[in-house]
Amino acid sequence: MLKRPAATRVFFAVAFAACACTARAQDPASREALIEQEQEAKAAALKPAEPGKAEQYVNRLSDSFLAGMALHPFFESSYTGGGFTLGAGYLKHVSAYNTLDVRGSFTPSGYTRLEAEFIAPSLFARRGVLSVLGGWRDATQVGFFGFGMTSTLEQQANYGFQRPYLGANLEVFPTRRLFLVRGGIELTQWKQKPGEGDVPSVEQAYTPATLPGLGAQPVYWHSQATVGIDSRAPSRGYARRGGFYGVTVHDFADTDKAFGFNQVDYEAIQHIPMLRESWVLSLHAMAQTTYDKAGQTLPFFMMPSIGGGADLRAYASWRLRDLNSLYLQAEWRVMVNRFLDMALFYDAGKVAARRTDLELGNMKTDVGLGFRLHGQLSTPLRIEFTHGSEGFALVLAASQVF
Amino acid sequence: MCRRIIGWSFVLAIAAVAVATTAGPRFYNDDPIAREPESRSAAGAKPLEIALFFEYGYNLFVTARRKPSDIRAGNINTIDEVPDSSWFTNRIGSQPITPELLVRGPNSDVQPAPGKWVLLREKSAGTNPGFTAQDANGRTWFLQFDIPEFPEGGTGAVEIATKLFWALGYNQVETFITTFDPARAEIDPKATIKRPSGARTPFTRDDLTRVLEHAARNADGTYRVSAGALLPGKVLGPFRYSGTRSDDPNDLVPHEHRRELRAIRVFGAWTNLVDWKAGNTLDVLVEKDGRTVVKHYLQDVGSTFGMANNPHEYDMGWEYFYEQAPSRRRLYSFGFALSPWQTAPYTNYSSIGFFEGDRFEPRSWRPQTPVEPFIQMRDDDAFWAARRVMAFSDDLIRAVVGSGQYSNPAAERYLADVLIKRRDAIGRVYLTAVNPVVSPRLDATGSLTFENAAVAAGFAAPPTAYRATWSQFDNTTGATTRIADTRSATTTMAASRDLPSAPGSFVEIDIAAESAEHPTWQQPVRTHFRRDAGGWKLVGLERLPGRASGPGAAAPATGEGR
Repeated sequence: MLKRPAATRVFFAVAFAACACTARAQDPASREALIEQEQEAKAAALKPAEPGKAEQYVNRLSDSFLAGMALHPFFESSYTGGGFTLGAGYLKHVSAYNTLDVRGSFTPSGYTRLEAEFIAPSLFARRGVLSVLGGWRDATQVGFFGFGMTSTLEQQANYGFQRPYLGANLEVFPTRRLFLVRGGIELTQWKQKPGEGDVPSVEQAYTPATLPGLGAQPVYWHSQATVGIDSRAPSRGYARRGGFYGVTVHDFADTDKAFGFNQVDYEAIQHIPMLRESWVLSLHAMAQTTYDKAGQTLPFFMMPSIGGGADLRAYASWRLRDLNSLYLQAEWRVMVNRFLDMALFYDAGKVAARRTDLELGNMKTDVGLGFRLHGQLSTPLRIEFTHGSEGFALVLAASQVF
Repeated sequence: MCRRIIGWSFVLAIAAVAVATTAGPRFYNDDPIAREPESRSAAGAKPLEIALFFEYGYNLFVTARRKPSDIRAGNINTIDEVPDSSWFTNRIGSQPITPELLVRGPNSDVQPAPGKWVLLREKSAGTNPGFTAQDANGRTWFLQFDIPEFPEGGTGAVEIATKLFWALGYNQVETFITTFDPARAEIDPKATIKRPSGARTPFTRDDLTRVLEHAARNADGTYRVSAGALLPGKVLGPFRYSGTRSDDPNDLVPHEHRRELRAIRVFGAWTNLVDWKAGNTLDVLVEKDGRTVVKHYLQDVGSTFGMANNPHEYDMGWEYFYEQAPSRRRLYSFGFALSPWQTAPYTNYSSIGFFEGDRFEPRSWRPQTPVEPFIQMRDDDAFWAARRVMAFSDDLIRAVVGSGQYSNPAAERYLADVLIKRRDAIGRVYLTAVNPVVSPRLDATGSLTFENAAVAAGFAAPPTAYRATWSQFDNTTGATTRIADTRSATTTMAASRDLPSAPGSFVEIDIAAESAEHPTWQQPVRTHFRRDAGGWKLVGLERLPGRASGPGAAAPATGEGR
């Protein structure tokens, strides 16, 4: 900023120039002379070309939150069903490409999550991404409604758990595109605790004899491997074309060999664009099947489950639970503009004790209407109104449904 | 306080100039000027950065809601033309442009020497892969590759569009299509690259590989690249599309009122230049006639045809990034209210992208975000621009498209065909929208002749008649004294016998056309002629007289605005 004497000097300089201009401008000889007078007048009052205040403010904001995103919001709950989640993280580059993100979140119902994740996004000549994740989660009121398709809302009991974990995942696209292999290993403990909330806690409603794994606190070595074809575009976080077809095999090895089991997930996603991708028919199928390990019990809280904002959306989180699950989703997505999509959707799902019972009959279903704010890489806000046989539900989420 | 003092100083200066201005005659002896003077040194101008995020947001949510001011362009001369300047040079439509000249465009004879490239640093802007490198002759170039999905697309678009915009009058960067052979490339020991962490570290071979992974590769392992020359002078960064540079004394006309910037709405529609933003412009300090002046470039016109961004969004050229009305329409109809881009037929060549000429409607064309001159363009600006577009013959268009060096002749033919269709659509809309009388001449014997640009181009039938209202004009007071009215079925009409004959006298002639098909032609084109020793000289032409006359009040103007 100019000091006052300097400003005064500018005033007199400009005043002088202006007067000089006026004097000379009495009879300008030519158009060119006239323009030159104006240039002379401006020359006496030049200012640095700088952004305005609003622009500077927005630039600072975008530099802070978009360019580096060191401090960033984090809306992922510790466990599905935690409700409205608030959180924040701090991401720091620890080398040219690798990052360390320390983050945490909590919900009004007491779900808490604290973790740190190291990501190396550029391994094997940019074919692989390594994630090392460690942290601690606390869930206070996870719903358990009983097993199978005949369970009712009235049967709800809650349980809680705390879970420390440390693991690593490596995802590789050997051919850079399409073909995907992923492997991971994690050491984690599921420490059950009584459930909170307005319904009874599980230990009040069940006994270890009637609810397998009640009270168990197994420590798992969880290893998994995925093979798949992934052609989703523009990105996994927001896709309008392409698909994903993959199989994931899990091994949950209990260190005490009491609650170990195996699980296989089959997933298929296909986006079918129409009218220049302004309409997209999106289909999703997911089946989870579990396999006993001899002499070991699959605890209830590790069984496949459906219900909640990502699958059977009109139903409570964890509403249906059993040894196997299947759900199907269809969405008709309409592009409103580059940042907003709307969708009509239909979900159907079921759980079953036997894998052979995962056929298409006798499924719970819902329909709904959704709105998604998105960019090319992510869907930071999804709002959905949905209705199923157990009533209406509102879904607020910070990720794409599939 | 000091800001207030400076502010009042400026007001005083402008007021003083305004007083002087209003006291002057309507036409000076040097009217119409052919070049904007740049009388002051701009050596003190400093680099400026304009952040994309703010610019896009401002344009989408503020500029897009602006109402056009209907202010006449401020940098035109008294005969409604744009004089040469540090922004613009009259080329096509003003001087003969041969196919050879057009294909050469802004380029000198010194082509890149691709035998060995030495990499200097990464590419800092744009979505296509690239970097800065020195050729075998030691000259610095900005190299830009095609992406694998659109081989030849980006490089071809830059090459052709650069020449089109050069011919249209804009300062353009020398651009060549050449090759890059990674096997013969070296990395300058001082070359650095900015990492995602923000650290700038040495550029490595792996960094080169990283760039090339996203580039379209030729069968022999080389890469086709577009090489843009490093501009001479001190780079000041982009220019704003509104206001003036406060540190450039020669920059008097608010940029939104510069006709050549408003005209990009027409030229952009023709070429589908959707990425119209400050970031694709460049101000450079250069020495000219012993003085330091700011030269203004349209630096990157490569987001043209169907090649904007990666990947091309289907609504590009049809809607802004965000536009309220179509968004609402789709929202309320659940997508059933279709927009033209959803059904427009394309012949899809990977080297051209989504570019078509059958459903193209010049007035409804949209860049990604609207800049201020886009909003402020009037029909007289569009008419001026359309005449330049129409000056590209089929042969010129096919010649310049040939410089894109497409390997598929069908793609090359298609691009030229679409440009021809879009050219004609522009002419059909804008040449007929206002009274298209051009090139009026008044000979010494008093015979008035002119042309009708719309009729000459074949976009309109001749009007049933032309009417002329003749008046004596007092150049000091602006007063007019009616002499006579004349009428003719052709573009030639005899003058009144009462024309003044004294040297230095002025006559004002309003020329209107009677056309049931085009009622706007009733609005006369106002012309002024000055009697010189050799006869009558055209010194004034106003295509929309009576409309807000000018940025003279808002800012100093080069010509008619005062």
